[in-house]
Amino acid sequence: MAYRYLFGQMVRRELRQKYKGSALGVLWYLINPLVLMGAYYLMFGLIFKLDDIEDYPLFLMVGLVVWIFFSQAVLSAAPSLLEHGALVRKARFPRATIPGAVVSVQMVTFLVILLLLSVVTIAIRGTLDVALLLMPLILACLYAFTLGFALAVSILHAYFRDVAPILSAALLPWFFLSPIFFRIESVTSRDEYRKLLEWGNPLSPYITAVRDVVYGGNVPDAGVLAYVAGASVVMLLGGKWLFDRMQDELAVVV
Amino acid sequence: MTRRPALDDGVRRGEIVLEHASRAFSVKADRGRTLKEMLIGRRRAGGPAPVQALRDVSLQIGPGETVGMVGRNGAGKSSTLRVLAGIVPLNCGRVACGGQVVAQLELGAGFGRDFSGRENIFLNGALHGLVKEQIEARLEAIIAFSELGDFIDAPVATYSSGMFLRLGFSIAAHLDADVLLIDEVLAVGDEAFQRKCEARIAEQIAAGATLVLVSHDAALIERTCERLVVLDGGEKVFDGAVEEGMPFYHRLMGTADAVPSRP
Repeated sequence: MAYRYLFGQMVRRELRQKYKGSALGVLWYLINPLVLMGAYYLMFGLIFKLDDIEDYPLFLMVGLVVWIFFSQAVLSAAPSLLEHGALVRKARFPRATIPGAVVSVQMVTFLVILLLLSVVTIAIRGTLDVALLLMPLILACLYAFTLGFALAVSILHAYFRDVAPILSAALLPWFFLSPIFFRIESVTSRDEYRKLLEWGNPLSPYITAVRDVVYGGNVPDAGVLAYVAGASVVMLLGGKWLFDRMQDELAVVV
Repeated sequence: MTRRPALDDGVRRGEIVLEHASRAFSVKADRGRTLKEMLIGRRRAGGPAPVQALRDVSLQIGPGETVGMVGRNGAGKSSTLRVLAGIVPLNCGRVACGGQVVAQLELGAGFGRDFSGRENIFLNGALHGLVKEQIEARLEAIIAFSELGDFIDAPVATYSSGMFLRLGFSIAAHLDADVLLIDEVLAVGDEAFQRKCEARIAEQIAAGATLVLVSHDAALIERTCERLVVLDGGEKVFDGAVEEGMPFYHRLMGTADAVPSRP
């Protein structure tokens, strides 16, 4: 693909542009999530202690990094087409590379943090297992899911300027409904609620899968893996379909 | 990544076809729609009506032709170029451009401000669909043409607007265009560089490229173009040889007396 090179250049540009002129530069990509993780650890690890989960800080962190990747990626992708308006109005190139670059930059940060966290978690919990071989697959699915979601919100926000504010408002309750600082089975005994939290929230199987492998050291359930794969295909194709359908007028609306 | 609309179906390399093209633009201050409007199913009432930027315009430009496009502000010149470049779709009608289309609508539009000039050459080349090796092959020629010297490795944020323009033009001028679309971008450079740009455009035309040039500089168009298209209110009101077109244009603008015609 001729445009793979363009994509690489756009990622570079995104990396450099965001924190230009700041003393720590690209390091902010790592500092932000680390500060967030510290804050959540303080809140849920020390203040509201849920002591029925062993190595709770690790349990919390593994779920949290997945969430931070997803939320940061879609939140920065939503206004990305408008931010690159000058380019969209004046040049002809595949516009999906803009939100694509945003998501990819977040993915790189996420991988760095996840790697560090996994080394620590596996060392402390002794969860080194062949299940780790599934990680590339799970992460590829998470990337595809997030990319599809980002394509959809970025093109929608270019036309309807309410989308980014709605998204940032929705992410807060979404966070609390995701199994990040709790286990689903320990917050509800009702079967239907449990099922709703497990399957009604598309992000929850991704969190579960990553946590099963890194923190639990075991292979996720077949159902979870199937959901992870299926949701990524549906979201990526759906997002791309919407983007292609709506992008014709992009140079006029941004 | 994405499907590019086919702009070259049924035309030869370097050929431009515009058939019964029409395009309207909404002129609201807030160009996006809000969700409320979508849910209610209509746009805010009141405000100015949409502007018809192109009204049933047909153009047939053969490979190697040089066409100047003139008209008052808002006549539809830039809209026509954006349609030809494939950036803005038509409401109805057909547009096709054959081969590699290089649009210079705003030089340096895609520049990363804190990338060096050299890095921006790669970024900009990539935006035009080139890969690393193709850009490397042109790198020296682009840098030499831009006359930026050691500044090529300084961030473009430190450039003067003239340097910015020189780099932008140098990149666009080395992309092996079959169709060149140029919108009033030469006005910033100094006279020497403008002459150099004109010479470079002439070279590309000699190599077989088609040129569509939008400018308010009548002398530039007379030097560069053989054919003239005059647009007014989104309609084509003249299409023919530049010698006959310029007097027509000056009469249209009411400047026939102010501008001495060519000897």
